[in-house]
Amino acid sequence: MKRWDLIVIGMGLAGLTAAKAAAEKGAKVLIVGRGMGSVTLFGNTIDLLGEIPPGKDMQGDLTRWIAAHPHHPYAKTGWAGIEASLGAFRSLFPPPYTFDTVGSGNSLVPTGVGTLRPSYLLPATMTAGVGMSPSDTIIVGLKGFKDFQGDTVSLHLQCRGVNLSLPRYGLEGLTAIALARLMDEESFRERLGEAIRSQMAGEKRVGLPAILGVSAPADVLKTLEAITGAKVFEIPMLPPSIPGLRIFHRFREALIAQGVTFLMGNPVTAAKVKEGRCEEITVHNPPIATVFRAENYILATGRFLGGGLWADMERITEPLFHLPVFQPESRGLWFRERFFQPEAHPIHRAGIVTDEDLRPVDSEGRVLLRNVRAAGSILAHHEAIEGHSSEGIDIATGNLAAGRALSS
Amino acid sequence: MDLKTEVLIIGGGATGAGISRDLALRGIPSLLVEKGDFTSGASGRNQGLLHSGARYAVSDLEAAKECIIENRILRRIAPHCIEDTDGLFVSLPEDGTEYRATFLRACAEAGIDTLPLSPREALSMEPKLNPRLIGAVQVPDGAIDPFTLVVENARDAESRGARFLLHTEVTGLIRDGLRITGVRAKDRITGNEFTIAAPWVINATGAWANQILAFAGLTIGMALSKGSMLITNTRLSERVINRCRPPASGDIIVPNDTVSILGTTSLRVEDLEHYEVTPEEVSFLVEELSKVIPAIREERFTRAYAGVRPLVQLAGVSDDREISRGFALIDHGSVDGLTGLITITGGKLMTYRLMAEKTADFICERLGLHVPCITHSQPLPGAGRGHTLKDRLLRLRHQIPASRGELLCDCELVPRETIDAILREGKVRELQDILHRTRLAKGTCQGGFCVYRLLGVLNEMRKETVLGGSNRALRDFLEERWKGIRPVLWGTSLKEEELIESIYKGLFNLAPEATLPPGGGDL
Repeated sequence: MKRWDLIVIGMGLAGLTAAKAAAEKGAKVLIVGRGMGSVTLFGNTIDLLGEIPPGKDMQGDLTRWIAAHPHHPYAKTGWAGIEASLGAFRSLFPPPYTFDTVGSGNSLVPTGVGTLRPSYLLPATMTAGVGMSPSDTIIVGLKGFKDFQGDTVSLHLQCRGVNLSLPRYGLEGLTAIALARLMDEESFRERLGEAIRSQMAGEKRVGLPAILGVSAPADVLKTLEAITGAKVFEIPMLPPSIPGLRIFHRFREALIAQGVTFLMGNPVTAAKVKEGRCEEITVHNPPIATVFRAENYILATGRFLGGGLWADMERITEPLFHLPVFQPESRGLWFRERFFQPEAHPIHRAGIVTDEDLRPVDSEGRVLLRNVRAAGSILAHHEAIEGHSSEGIDIATGNLAAGRALSS
Repeated sequence: MDLKTEVLIIGGGATGAGISRDLALRGIPSLLVEKGDFTSGASGRNQGLLHSGARYAVSDLEAAKECIIENRILRRIAPHCIEDTDGLFVSLPEDGTEYRATFLRACAEAGIDTLPLSPREALSMEPKLNPRLIGAVQVPDGAIDPFTLVVENARDAESRGARFLLHTEVTGLIRDGLRITGVRAKDRITGNEFTIAAPWVINATGAWANQILAFAGLTIGMALSKGSMLITNTRLSERVINRCRPPASGDIIVPNDTVSILGTTSLRVEDLEHYEVTPEEVSFLVEELSKVIPAIREERFTRAYAGVRPLVQLAGVSDDREISRGFALIDHGSVDGLTGLITITGGKLMTYRLMAEKTADFICERLGLHVPCITHSQPLPGAGRGHTLKDRLLRLRHQIPASRGELLCDCELVPRETIDAILREGKVRELQDILHRTRLAKGTCQGGFCVYRLLGVLNEMRKETVLGGSNRALRDFLEERWKGIRPVLWGTSLKEEELIESIYKGLFNLAPEATLPPGGGDL
């Protein structure tokens, strides 16, 4: 039986980052996931920490923030680990479709409800939205595409909005994916560009739903900007996320090119543990169950949505290795009385507690599995959703876990 | 704006709407004020059970007789609000056979048809039942849609001259010596205050009865009992399933369209505006009812909710389940010496028509009119309309091609046309009014996706000013949704909640308004 240096379980941004980092160091890597990871649902920008105000220097402020939050996953990676992982991520996206900061810190990206969200690295298709003003921007919605409500965006951004009909295309099945694939066709985006231009009244920027092509977003941007004579930007909307899909596709392409074995669509159903080490995992592809063995494993299965954590009526468990999960004492304490409140729901801080090496530990701090590391949102002591730090935690801990696994 | 009416009805539940219709059919004009939407109180927060009366047969024979009579009347006048499911009273080994014998005798005495079934027969009819059951009895229970029932009563009344003011709260009673001559009222959306003059004021506010009476310094003996319920993601049984044992908490499962409703609990409450379903109640209902249908333990729940039963209180009874579910019609003229004010409370959804009849009889008597009640024989306006799930899906088949597939709600198949039609009618005043009148947001995601789309449609139609601004409405909706969903967050529901939080708090950066992060919230 083939034996791997590293098996990564989970295809979210943490798992993808870990697999790439390990492959670049020459390791023989298998990545296995039950489906496309959560990056295809929510991935748009790379957010590090929302509470650092725009205009502030990220390195200095985040370094101080980490010092004040010693249990946060960032405390394991430090700024140096975050910076290294951002570099690795950006190396996957050469020009023209790059991920960059606007200025030295966070910038504010318009969203699908017309709010602004603090983000760190923006894809080239979103930078023009930063600094938009009500008078210089027009928001374009598409009739029949219900997951982007242009009028909601323009109402709250206080700018002009129009809804365009797509000639010759019915409304049936008008999904983000279908639209993005149409945008990949030059003739389609040219017609859309013309339709937008006919509606403009001197605006310098055009905001569109984030559907500017699956495979060639930079070309789509170029066409639309040439026709409209304005800067064009994408606005994040309801899942699935086309910009996230681009990230996923780019990782998959790079991983396969680097010789990583990419096994998608089947869950890992069992892990065999002996004397503090994982010996093998079982991947279930009915009716076949296949066993895979590696020196090291990275558990990047996400939280509840990804299946990394599971909650029954009594408690929260980690279903694969049955690791202890840091969690509130009882179900009644998982969530607060109100949906929106200043502090995150206590359940968000639940997760796997690890040592400095990202190896899961028990309540006494003893390492439970010497060759298993946890990475990404499954880790305890973060509030990634409200904190706007999901991608940062994923890539920083994914990168670190791979590095530690290979140096062990 | 000051108004006048012959009879003023306070409360837009089944009782109030029923009285409005009964009076209208007798030619008496009325005006109804309701502080929220129709069925905001217990009428909209119950199990939707069309009682056969069997549940009360042993403990309260009179209530059982009332129920079966009203059951037959409602099947006649409101067939489009009813699903004729039948019901089973299931005996588990721990329930024994003694109660079952008593139960069968009591049902016979109350005039309720029963059909005893063997365990095998019961299991072939309802395969998800606990296979350990020792017997079952079939009774004519059913499922009823209270919202449609109330709206249909109001629609019929309105077509006969009755008037309705929703989102209008009574803020005081106007008194002239020993007479109530009207009320002070406030529009809760515009804030406009005005008076309504009326020689007769009917307090049909259910659990809120004492809040209205307090304006006149009066009070009646009433216990407030909270009942909590859980909605499943799938329909567990074809029929209503009851435990064949003395009435207790956690003993009934009512099918409702494509889902089932588990109930109930009974806990005293004092504060009518702040009560919630506790984790203990949820655990109890799941534990107790999984004895009847074991699959409940693995079932996904979409929502929990609670209603407050107004129970007219008799001295010396300690258990709320022993307090009569009967109703009380109180003439404050003869009881308290304050003429022109009547309170009708207690009772249950099943007897709303009877309560309305008795109230209208009283008003007629005082007005010196001799017009008989005809609500027991006069069908509601939509009574001929097909109303089953099949009818609804068939109608959709015709609607969806017309909209070219623009479904706002994928879970419950609500096309955009439905919303356009409601807005054209012009009666809705806030987001929740729209949600009450459609199946939007009632499915698995509980509005997580479709309300964003609905608000977009409203913004497109420039309705946002009427509805209070769209992101505020979105926040309010998510907060209201939270009340129902928080108690059932585990398993698959919890997974979905991570999705919803990731969208609204993560991706869209909606934050509590008091603590907007940099750039968060509205501009």
